[in-house]
Amino acid sequence: MKVNHEKCGYCGACVGVCNKLAIELVENIIVIDTEKCNDCKSCMMVCPLNALEE
Amino acid sequence: MRELINNANYDVVVVGAGPGGSMASYYASKNGAKTLLIEKSQEIGEPVRCAEAIPRLEDFGIIPDPQFVRNHIKGGYLIAPNGKKIEVKGGKTDGHVVERKIFDKYLAIRSARAGTKMAVKSRVVGLEHNGDGYDVIISHLGEEYTVKAKIVIAADGVESSVAEMAGLKSKKIPTQVCSCAEYEMTNVKLLDNEMMEFYFGDICPKGYAWIFPKGDTANVGLGVIDKNKKAIDYLNEFIEHPILEGRLKDATPIEFKCGGAPVGGPIEKTVDDNIMVVGDAAGQISPLSGGGIYLSMSCGSMAGEVAAKSIKNNNYSKDALIEYENRWKEKYYDILMAELKYKNVLQKLTENELNALADAMDEKLEEVDVKKIAFKAVKKAPSLLKYFKEII
Ligand SMILES: Cc1cc2nc3c(=O)[nH]c(=O)nc-3n(C[C@H](O)[C@H](O)[C@H](O)COP(=O)(O)OP(=O)(O)OC[C@H]3O[C@@H](n4cnc5c(N)ncnc54)[C@H](O)[C@@H]3O)c2cc1C
Ligand code: SF4
Ligand code: SF4
Repeated sequence: MKVNHEKCGYCGACVGVCNKLAIELVENIIVIDTEKCNDCKSCMMVCPLNALEE
Repeated sequence: MRELINNANYDVVVVGAGPGGSMASYYASKNGAKTLLIEKSQEIGEPVRCAEAIPRLEDFGIIPDPQFVRNHIKGGYLIAPNGKKIEVKGGKTDGHVVERKIFDKYLAIRSARAGTKMAVKSRVVGLEHNGDGYDVIISHLGEEYTVKAKIVIAADGVESSVAEMAGLKSKKIPTQVCSCAEYEMTNVKLLDNEMMEFYFGDICPKGYAWIFPKGDTANVGLGVIDKNKKAIDYLNEFIEHPILEGRLKDATPIEFKCGGAPVGGPIEKTVDDNIMVVGDAAGQISPLSGGGIYLSMSCGSMAGEVAAKSIKNNNYSKDALIEYENRWKEKYYDILMAELKYKNVLQKLTENELNALADAMDEKLEEVDVKKIAFKAVKKAPSLLKYFKEII
């Protein structure tokens, strides 16, 4: 999973559904650990701004 | 600030300076525990992810101070897809719309004045159990620090990572999270300057759209659960929708907010040895309205009190901390579970059925008593019985 920083509103909704603990919101930057990510797409579904991309 | 987080020892470490964390740390400090409140943002209260409506604050002994109150609220209008308005006013419907940035900071300062030490721009990145409590690992300005806590209170909001670090299950199911987008706008023509507006139907599947008066501005937003279309796209359609009868024609945004509201009910376990979970992280948020400020403040207060008591009694095991879980469940569990049931029913209704429901309702209500409403609705529109069976 990748984040498009131009589209992201740094709300943390995606962080709250990632049970692999692969996403962190660092101040206003989403950081995704691609090693931990299993491409379940949970984060994509809750993102209000379509900022997450495969 | 560095000495506060450099190998220091605390009785209680609270993670997250939202309403839940600030209330928890306030009561922990007030009752004598040495308490640290850790917030990862450099500004408490930012970014705002909220429509900023709260019921009465007096329950917490907090005076609704003009520094953060932007609007007094008498009640709200529930608006069906066909435009029919139900007025809900009187009883316990009054409250305030606040400036969350200032409100959250106010609560944090209140906690600090009770003795809480605070670390800002400090992010908790790990928890390690050390037999006696937790080593809390903090990242601050690119350096790692560790503090020791006998009790950790996870109040990290919707992100819900801290409890997971301790092995509790707090992450949410995506179909149970309302995806929200909101413009704060000025030049909005409101139906009434002291009434909130709630819109239901296909404009916002499985959630609702809102307009909340906020002094010179209004929060115009919505929350949806939809795999295919994004909250922001629904919002841009909503602000031009004919149901608003052009009341946003001259409106212009002055702020943008977005977020996720975990409306799937409380998580199963909110305590374990040396740890408690409060607020959004614990799913302590109304499944029907998405309102979580009051609940996080109330449950946070209980957690803070129980933490301080456990410190006094020198027992921070799950057996001692379970008092927190028992207390919040006694007060809120049945309400939250009933609301969850109502929400699941509401989410199934088509626009026609929502209209039928609205037509069966009295135009003026003092409160939303779902059982009463369901009973009346079924009498007038028997086709709704299949949904309301369980409720009645
Ligand atoms: C769009 C939207 C509208 C809403 N409108 C309303 C409303 O009108 N009324 C209402 O009552 N509720 C509303 N809610 C819900 C409400 O915002 C939350 O329920 C409430 O903020 C929960 O409080 P909290 O203290 O649990 O968490 P939060 O207020 O989210 O606070 C958590 C804090 O923890 C910090 N944090 C997170 N992780 C870490 C870490 N690792 N280390 C350090 N700090 C960390 C965060 O930066 C944050 O400051 C709305 C929610 C959304 C998304
Ligand atoms: S795809 Fe799944 S595992 Fe990967 S970041 Fe998103 S929620 Fe986490
Ligand atoms: S949910 Fe979307 S907008 Fe919100 S922080 Fe995640 S990527 Fe950004």
